[in-house]
Amino acid sequence: MKMTPRAVVIGSLLILAAVVFVVIYIPYVTRTQTASAIFRRRTPTEAAGRKLYIANGCVYCHSQSVRSIDWGLGAERIAQAGDYVGDQPILLGSQRTGPDLSQEGGAHPNDWHRAHFVNPRTTRPNSIMPAFEFIGPENIKHLTAYVQSLGMKNAGRRMQRQKHWKAKAVEAYEAGPDANAHWLAENIPFGWRKIANPYPSTVAGLARGHKIYQDFCLGCHGPVGDGMGPGQPDLYPPPLNFTILKNRGISGGILYYQIMNGITGTAMPYFKRELESEKIWDVSNYVAVYFINQSDANHAPRGIDTAYEP
Amino acid sequence: MTTPDENSSPGYATARAFCITSACWMVIGAFVGLLGATELIAPDIAKNIGWLVFGRIRPIHINVVLFGFVTPGLLAAAFYYFPRLLRCELFSEKLGVFTVWVWNLTLVAAVISLAGGHTQGREYAELIWPIDVMVVAAFGLVFFNMVMTVRRRTEPLLYVSIWYGLAATILTAAVYALGNVIWRPDSGALAGMADAVILWFYGHSIFNLLLTPLAAGIAYYVIPRVVLSPLYSHRLAMLGFWSLMLVAPQIGTSHLLQVPLPTWLKVIAIADSIAMAIPVMAFLINIWYTAKGRLGEIHADIGAKFVFTGTIMYFFASLQGAVMALPQVQRVTHFNNWVVGHAHIGVLGFAGMIALGGMYYILPRITGKQLYSRLLADFQYWMVLIGVVGFTVVLTIAGMTQGNAWLNGHAVYRVLPMVHVYYIVRAALGLMLFTSAIVGLYNILRTLLSNPGGTP
Repeated sequence: MKMTPRAVVIGSLLILAAVVFVVIYIPYVTRTQTASAIFRRRTPTEAAGRKLYIANGCVYCHSQSVRSIDWGLGAERIAQAGDYVGDQPILLGSQRTGPDLSQEGGAHPNDWHRAHFVNPRTTRPNSIMPAFEFIGPENIKHLTAYVQSLGMKNAGRRMQRQKHWKAKAVEAYEAGPDANAHWLAENIPFGWRKIANPYPSTVAGLARGHKIYQDFCLGCHGPVGDGMGPGQPDLYPPPLNFTILKNRGISGGILYYQIMNGITGTAMPYFKRELESEKIWDVSNYVAVYFINQSDANHAPRGIDTAYEP
Repeated sequence: MTTPDENSSPGYATARAFCITSACWMVIGAFVGLLGATELIAPDIAKNIGWLVFGRIRPIHINVVLFGFVTPGLLAAAFYYFPRLLRCELFSEKLGVFTVWVWNLTLVAAVISLAGGHTQGREYAELIWPIDVMVVAAFGLVFFNMVMTVRRRTEPLLYVSIWYGLAATILTAAVYALGNVIWRPDSGALAGMADAVILWFYGHSIFNLLLTPLAAGIAYYVIPRVVLSPLYSHRLAMLGFWSLMLVAPQIGTSHLLQVPLPTWLKVIAIADSIAMAIPVMAFLINIWYTAKGRLGEIHADIGAKFVFTGTIMYFFASLQGAVMALPQVQRVTHFNNWVVGHAHIGVLGFAGMIALGGMYYILPRITGKQLYSRLLADFQYWMVLIGVVGFTVVLTIAGMTQGNAWLNGHAVYRVLPMVHVYYIVRAALGLMLFTSAIVGLYNILRTLLSNPGGTP
């Protein structure tokens, strides 16, 4: 074959055209156009938030694509092609420097997002996300609306739950410490209320609790557990002041349950995906010993001794 | 096939201008990369300065490195070897210099718009429509100049480098327009999964149909000339060229193996990622056999040293790329720093190294004087080599840490502290590369503008 200029230019363009026909055009004409069951259109505010999401390059660190292999990261809803039919451009992302956001809507109330956008390290002390205070409070609202829409109809259901419990949480907080402590205790399953911390209170266990507290809790509840962490000004009801809980019937089981599942309606997130069981008991006991000054570890009956204890 | 012949040297104004362009934007690109790397370890370092936020810095880094540093560096050498291989003068140096101005204007517009948050939000295809048009126009101007030079040639045979130069510029103009969905100025995107397909077709083609052919063109020119030996095989060169044209545009979907797309499309991407072994090895065997037994000559010429190292990096980048396209491997490597490491060994280790090599090869030959400082060029060589190898090592480790942790059920937040130390090393290596870019800029400017050196 003689490599003439014509052969090179026309030949390579023809090959490209053939490849584009197969790998671009055919997938395009046979694409999924049916919306999935959870699909809904975005509101104008959510669409404005999506523009901000694009303008500030959120897509470079956050994927919007839950894979079948993401079993530990929240694969309750694996992405379907019909989830994306309204996305132009699509924002699948290519990096997970931060968590996947495709089902983020309704996982937190709006005030958590406000605090988090103003400075992510207030709600998440180890976060490496930039602060977005510079976009201004109005834009933070739009961006929050967009993030709260992720997950579409599923997110809508979760947002309803947030709204429902937000009203109750505010009511309980405003009724004073006694009522608040009572509300926090009474709204968990009965069995949990009676459980004492099953682990003995040890120096090592408290050290683990201390480290976990620093990595997960300090931004809102503050270094001395009084609820005056840097996230406090943006959150309502404000982060719980642990020091009011003494003699108010807060068992290890109540602390454990609330840390595991979070308190819907408040900025308190769930930690069940990030902390294994023992770590939750450790941080509960750390809070009980240092901030409440009243721990039921070592006190209540513990059943059979754990297989390993120092 | 014989080695290309020397003939009398015209002014090479276009090649000079592209050298300066590349050297300047390498400094900017490396600095922006360093800033981004720093923000990942000190996220509040540029707190509330909107145009320095990581999400805007990252596309600036990518676009400046791709279109500011690497492509102009590669084109500088192309504007040198086109006239020489075709035994005629460039069609128009005036048009060439004009193209360089358009090119730089495009880059400035790109940086300003991205910093201002004006982006289409599609990775590698961020630039807004007016700048997209400028990019396509710039590639069109380069192609026009090249093809008109080919038409006035006195050498009947087209050497391999010419094929690659012509194909790279015309295909990039086409792929860029297509990938940026240029017929939809407002969004620059399709809707739904189809957008991801066309985006990654484009994203991968920018590497495989722009950087690879231009870099291969330089290797095919520089290595035979430096070792004073004919090219090992013309047939192998043809195999490498046509198989690249056929295989390369099909592998973009390898970025989308874990999302809801038809399986046949994924199978094509995986099969062709493996099939990339054909163009890659055809090219590398050809270059390496041409240089066989003559590594001393390569070592003696700093340009050839960069270029030859680039070919070795290409081997590793391609091997890694083929492995990454396997679904079982991608379970670990997708969505994390492994991919970032892969991008750096490809764009900086292969194409960037060869861009620098091409410039250092042509600079003494277009100025008629020795390089201002061989020592500084060697210093830059080692800084870039250590930098890119270091990047690949730490980012691969970080990526494997992230990927395996996620696969074992650890949340993203818990894995952040595990990769923190690698982010620090990465930023340190970035500082090294930034330094090397400044050294390179100084060396290139002195060579071109204020060179007391003797004839080479």
